Order: sequence, then C-alpha cells, then structure tokens
Amino acid sequence: MNKKIIARITIVSFIIGLMIAIQYNTVQKPTERDTRDIWEVRQELSEEKKRQSELLSEILTLSEDVKEYESSNSKNQGQVLQNTLEELKREAGLSPVSGPGLTLNIRPSMELIEFGYQVEPITPELLIRLVNEIFRFNGLYMEINGQRIVHTTAIRDINGDTTVNSIPINDTEVEIKVITESFEMAEKLYSYLYASGFQDDFYIDNLDLVINKAQDKITITKFDGELVNSYLVEENKGD
Amino acid sequence: MWLPLLGLILGLALGLLTDIQIPAVYENYLSIAVLAALDTLFGGIRAHLQQVYDDKVFVSGFFFNIALAAGLAFLGVHLGVDLYLAAIFAFGVRLFQNIAVIRRILITKWEDRHKNGMKNQ
Repeated sequence: MNKKIIARITIVSFIIGLMIAIQYNTVQKPTERDTRDIWEVRQELSEEKKRQSELLSEILTLSEDVKEYESSNSKNQGQVLQNTLEELKREAGLSPVSGPGLTLNIRPSMELIEFGYQVEPITPELLIRLVNEIFRFNGLYMEINGQRIVHTTAIRDINGDTTVNSIPINDTEVEIKVITESFEMAEKLYSYLYASGFQDDFYIDNLDLVINKAQDKITITKFDGELVNSYLVEENKGD
Repeated sequence: MWLPLLGLILGLALGLLTDIQIPAVYENYLSIAVLAALDTLFGGIRAHLQQVYDDKVFVSGFFFNIALAAGLAFLGVHLGVDLYLAAIFAFGVRLFQNIAVIRRILITKWEDRHKNGMKNQ
C-alpha cells in the first residue's frame, strides 16, 4: 500500500476514533441538568446559612474555651480542663443532663384497647424516624424509657422486641425525654411535632403519640453502659 | 497495514482519557459526522482496493460528507423534519455496500493467492 494512502487513512481513523470517544463520553455521562426553581435554590441557600450559623456559634464557644485557657493561671487551668471534660462527658452521654425540654408519651390508642386488639410494640422504623426528626429539629439530648441516646445507640428489632441500647422497651408505655438548647427551642419543637404528621403515623400503628408541653427543667440520665472506643488511640507525646 | 488501527485506538484513547464532552444538543450532529467519516473511510479503502483511489476525492469527501451530514441535520432541526434520518439512511446503506465490496475483493484476492500457491506446488 502506498505510504501516502496509509497516512491519510491513519489520520482519518484517528479523527473517527476521537469522535467516537467524544460521542461515547457524551452519551454515557450526561451532565446532570439543574432543574431546581428559584424557591428550591432559596431553600437550599437557607439550609446552608443555617449550617453556617451553627458552625459560627460552635467556633464562638470553642474560642471562648481557648480564651479561658489562656487567661487563667496554672492553678485555674485544672479547673478549666475539668469543665471541658464535664462538658464533653455531657455531650457524649456519660453524665446526667438537665435543662429545658419536653416529654413525649407513646401509648396504645383507645380504639385498640376498646376493640381488644393485641398490643403490638412500636416498630423500630417509626421510632428511628421520630428520633432523627427530633435531632434534626434542635433536639440536643434524648432518652427513651430511661435509655440515653448516644452516638452508638441502636434502635432495632431483636426477636420481635423493639430495643434501645439492646434493652427492650415497654410495649404499653414509652416515654421520650428531649432536652433542647432553650425553653423557646423546646416550645418550637413542641409546635413542630404537633404540626408534623407524626401523630397520624403513630395512629396508623394503633399508637397514640402524646406531645406534652415544653417544660423548664427536664432531667435525663446518663448512658448506662460503657462506651467502646475502637478507633481512637492515645498519642504518646514523649515528653 | 496496522497503522490505521493504531490511529483509531490512539484517537479512542485520547478521547476517553481527556473526557471531552459536547453539549447534548449537538449529540445528533456528532453521531452523523461519525457515520459520514466511517463511510468515507470505507469508501477510501474500497477505492484503493479497486485501484481507483484518488487523494483529492478521499480528503475532500471526508470533510464534505461530514459538513453535508451536519448541515442536513441542522436544516432538519430548523425545518422540523427529521432530515438527519436521510443522512443516516444514505450513509448506512453506503457503508454496508462498501464493506460488502471490500469483503468480495478480499475474498477474490485470497482465492487467487490460494490457487497460485497450489499451482506453484
């Protein structure tokens, strides 16, 4: 074959290859179209702003801690450290907490009792949804039937019993305590839960969700078990 | 002989690795352009095998066919008629014909060679 012809055909096949590859890329990976309207964008923006303000308040708290450390003398430093430890323990669920909040009660509905149906336990799915929703809506600390919710808490079904922290919860009476940042937040949470469809969701399962009014002081017990730390290792600083 | 294949693979690799994408609107044009280019390529190979290859015809055909196909598709979009189907049909038929001719020529050549080999023995 003539060299010139081969060169021409090679160039043409190179171009064809390139075109096929580009076509393949375009067909296989279509860029996701942005179909949000202005309100959805605004909503997302407001969520991001909320997150920003949360982060800012956290930064403020931490910088106050730093200031305290810096201003206090060596005697006081121990005290400050102790305070931080207490704070961390409270956050992790290792010490009891009290503060403004509200309580929720879950009972079998009247219809269930009247018609003599068998009492079914609360499904873990429903409970998890409620817990997530409360945490999403500014709930700080929570306890279900005396079981403190910590970061390792599992709400799940074990042999037909709904358990929290591996301990079965009562079928007929469940009490949920929630502590919020302030009394106003507790009131907001009360209104939010009241307006949400949770009572209907529970009613489908023949359960009554009673949302009690916000209270000034609610006490939540500490986590009963031992927190296992599998991944954090103490650093040896060598001095 | 293997150089065109190498060119094709090189083009594919370059296109896939650089991850170039074109807007979805132009997808149709590119697919037709690919078809036109393939048609020209096989036409060129056929012409070469039939010993009627002309450099000018090949190169001009390559660009002209692509431009014509894209232009036809463009016109179709603006007239509301799926004219690109005409291009796909025309190029598709020609592609099959060209490949059939190439196949026949190659088979004839192979048979000739085979016969000559038998005679020589």
